[in-house]
Amino acid sequence: MNAVESTETLNAALVASATEHRDPDWLVAQRTAALAQIEQLRVPKFHRFTYRDWNLLDHRLLWQASDPTLAAGITQASDHGQIIQVGQTTVAVNLPQALRDQGVILTDLFTALTQYPELTKPYLNQIIPATEDKLAAYHVAYLNGGLFLYVPQNVVVDDPIEAHIVQDSTQDGPQVSHVLIVADQGSQVAFTQHLTTQGTRANLVNNVVEIVANDNSRVKFASVDELGRDTLTYFNRRALVKHNAEVDWAVGLMNLGDTLGQFDTNLVGEGAQTETKVVAITSQDQREGINTRITNRGKHTVGNILQRGVLLGTSELVFNGIGDIIHGASGANAEQENRLLMMTPGTHGDANPILLIDENDVIAGHAASVGQVDQSQLYYLMSRGIDRKTAERLVIRGFLSTVLSAIPSKNVQQQLIKTIERNLQNG
Amino acid sequence: MSTLEIKDLHVEVSDEESQKTKEILKGVNLTMSTGEIHAIMGPNGTGKSTLSQTIMGQPAYHVTQGDILLDGESILDMPVDERARRGLFLAMQYPAEIQGVTNAEFLRAAINARRADDDQISVMAFLKELDKNLALLDMNESMTERYLNEGFSGGEKKRNEILQLLMIKPKFALLDEIDSGLDIDALKVVSKGVNSMRGDNFGSLIITHYQRLLNYIVPDVVHVMMGGKIVKTGDADLAKTLEKEGYAGLRDDLGIDVALVDED
Ligand SMILES: Nc1ncnc2c1ncn2[C@@H]1O[C@H](COP(=O)(O)OP(=O)(O)OP(=O)(O)O)[C@@H](O)[C@H]1O
Ligand SMILES: [Mg+2]
Repeated sequence: MNAVESTETLNAALVASATEHRDPDWLVAQRTAALAQIEQLRVPKFHRFTYRDWNLLDHRLLWQASDPTLAAGITQASDHGQIIQVGQTTVAVNLPQALRDQGVILTDLFTALTQYPELTKPYLNQIIPATEDKLAAYHVAYLNGGLFLYVPQNVVVDDPIEAHIVQDSTQDGPQVSHVLIVADQGSQVAFTQHLTTQGTRANLVNNVVEIVANDNSRVKFASVDELGRDTLTYFNRRALVKHNAEVDWAVGLMNLGDTLGQFDTNLVGEGAQTETKVVAITSQDQREGINTRITNRGKHTVGNILQRGVLLGTSELVFNGIGDIIHGASGANAEQENRLLMMTPGTHGDANPILLIDENDVIAGHAASVGQVDQSQLYYLMSRGIDRKTAERLVIRGFLSTVLSAIPSKNVQQQLIKTIERNLQNG
Repeated sequence: MSTLEIKDLHVEVSDEESQKTKEILKGVNLTMSTGEIHAIMGPNGTGKSTLSQTIMGQPAYHVTQGDILLDGESILDMPVDERARRGLFLAMQYPAEIQGVTNAEFLRAAINARRADDDQISVMAFLKELDKNLALLDMNESMTERYLNEGFSGGEKKRNEILQLLMIKPKFALLDEIDSGLDIDALKVVSKGVNSMRGDNFGSLIITHYQRLLNYIVPDVVHVMMGGKIVKTGDADLAKTLEKEGYAGLRDDLGIDVALVDED
C-alpha cells in the first residue's frame, strides 16, 4: 500500500469512528487536519535521548467500554471534588454541591465538549497545537478520553480536586487522553491526578495536559504517574500562565515502562510564576527522557525548575531543564536544579541545563549533578544497625525530599511515598 | 556479661590514588568485658580510628591477620549492620550528614532495626525515651526534627552521637574523640551521658587525646597505642603520666622505633 492510499484509508477510518462517536464537527475537523500533518511533522527533540525505535503512533480510534470494577480499590470521596475513570469509562464524578453552586465544572472530556463548547473549544488543543510536532498531531487526531475542570472567576476551591485515571490494559488499544483545566481570573484550585494501569497488554499512552491560568489565578497541579511496565508512555503537559497568575507542578514519575515526557510552562503575562518540581525513579531496563521547559515571556516572570531522579537496575534517565527567556522579558528570574542519583553502576543518567537567554536584564542560574550514592552515608546508617536496603531507601527519600514536601495534598504525598517504596523494592 | 576480644589484629588500607596497600595495625591485642571502660591514647596517625572502624566493619579496612570476637564468635565476616545489631556502636570522629532524613526518623529506624517486625517501638514509647535523653544531654527538642547532622556544629554532632548511644543502648560503644571540639560544658554533658550508661551490661572503648575527658569518665583500663600496636596498658594513672610526660618518653623507655609527628 503506498503512502497516499494509506493516509486516505486512515482518514476514512478516523472520520467514520469519530462520527460514530458523535464528536462535534469542529473536533472532527481538528482530527482530520491533524492526521493530514502527522506524516510531515517531526518528532519532538530530546537532547541526549534517542527513542527512534519506539512506536509512539497507534492508528486506531477505538471506542471501548471498560469494567468499572477495575477501579474498585479507589475510595469514593464526598467532601471534595473527585473523578474516577477507567479507560474511556467514567466511573464516578463526585463534586460537592457547594462547588457546583459556584459554577465549578468537573466532567469527562467529551461531555464537556458538547455541553460547554464555549468553555472548551477556545482552549482544547490550542495550548499544544497539532502543528507542533508529530506526537502532538497524533494526540489531536486520535484523542479518545479525558476530563475537563473549570473554575470560574474568583472562585477559590479549598480542597484538591482528585482524578484517578486507570489505564485499562486488560484489553488492547491506545489511551489517548487529555486533561483540560481552565482557571478563570482570580480563581484558585489544586488538581491532583493518579495514573495507574490494570492489566498487562502492551499498550500506548499518549497523555496531554493543558492548563489555562487566566489573570491572577493560581493552579497547583500534582501527579503521581504510576503506569505499568507494559505501557509505553508519551506525555506532554503545558500551562499558559497569564498576568500575575501562577501554576505550580509537583510530579512523581513512577512509571515502570519506557516514558517520554514534556513539561512546559509558558509565562506569558507580566508577573506570571511557576515552580516545577519533578521526581523520578527508573528501574530495571527502563528508559525515560524528560524535557522540562519554562518560557519567560512576560516582564518580571519567575520560573524555577527542581528535578531529582533516582536510577536503579540498568535504567536510563535524562533530565533536560530548558530555560527560555524571550527578548523583552526584563526582570525575569529563571533558576533550575537537576540532580540524579545512580544507585547501581549499570545505570545511565544525564542532567542537562539548557539556557536560551535573549534578554540582558534577567537573573538566571542552574545547577546539575549526576552522582553515585554516597557510601559514607550508607556506612553511617548501617553502623546503627539499619540494613542496607533500608539505609538506601532513607538516603533516596532524603534526596527526593525537597520535591516531596512541595506536594500540595497530603494524600498524594503519602501515595507517592508508598509508590517510591514499592519501586525501590522492585529495583 | 559480654566480651569483646581483639586478637593479633593486622589491618591494611589501600590508598585510592597510589593503589598501594599499607599496613596500619600490626598486631593489636585487647580484651574487654561489659562493665568496663577502656581508654586508648596514642599519637596522631597511630591507628586508633583504624582500630575502631575495623571493629565496626568499615569496608575500607582489610584484616590480614588475627580476629575480632564478640562473645567468643568471630565477627569478621559480618556486615556492618549485623555487627551493630549484635551490640556494637561507634561514635564516629566525623559523622556523616544526611539530607532529608530527620534525626527522629533515623533514630526510630535504628531502634526498630533491632526489633522484630511485629514488635516495633510505639510512637509514645519512642518519644518518652527521646525526651528523657534530650533532657539528660541538654539538647533542644528541635534538634530531632532537623536533618541528620546536616548543618550541625561540631559540638552538636558529638552530642548527637551520644544521643544515639543512649537511644540504641549497645553492649559496647567505641567512642572516637567524642571530646574533640567540645567546650567545657558540653564535655561535662557528654560525659554525663556516657556515665549514665555505665553498668554491668555496657562497656566502652574511649579514644581520646586528652586526660581531661578521663577526669569525667574515669576508665578502668588505659591503653597506649603506638606504631599500630598497643604498647602499654595500665590503670587511670597511666593517662595522667602520659599527660605530663608525652609519648616520646614512653617510647624511649620501651625502646620502640616509631616517629612521632612533632619530630618530622
Ligand atoms: N581509609 C584510609 N585510606 C588511606 N589511609 C588511611 C585510611 N585510614 C587511615 N589511614 C592512615 O592510617 C594511619 C592511621 O590513621 P588513623 O585515623 O587510624 O589514626 P589515629 O590514631 O586515629 O589518628 P588521630 O589521632 O589523628 O585521629 C594514618 O597514616 C592514616 O593516614
Ligand atoms: Mg582518629
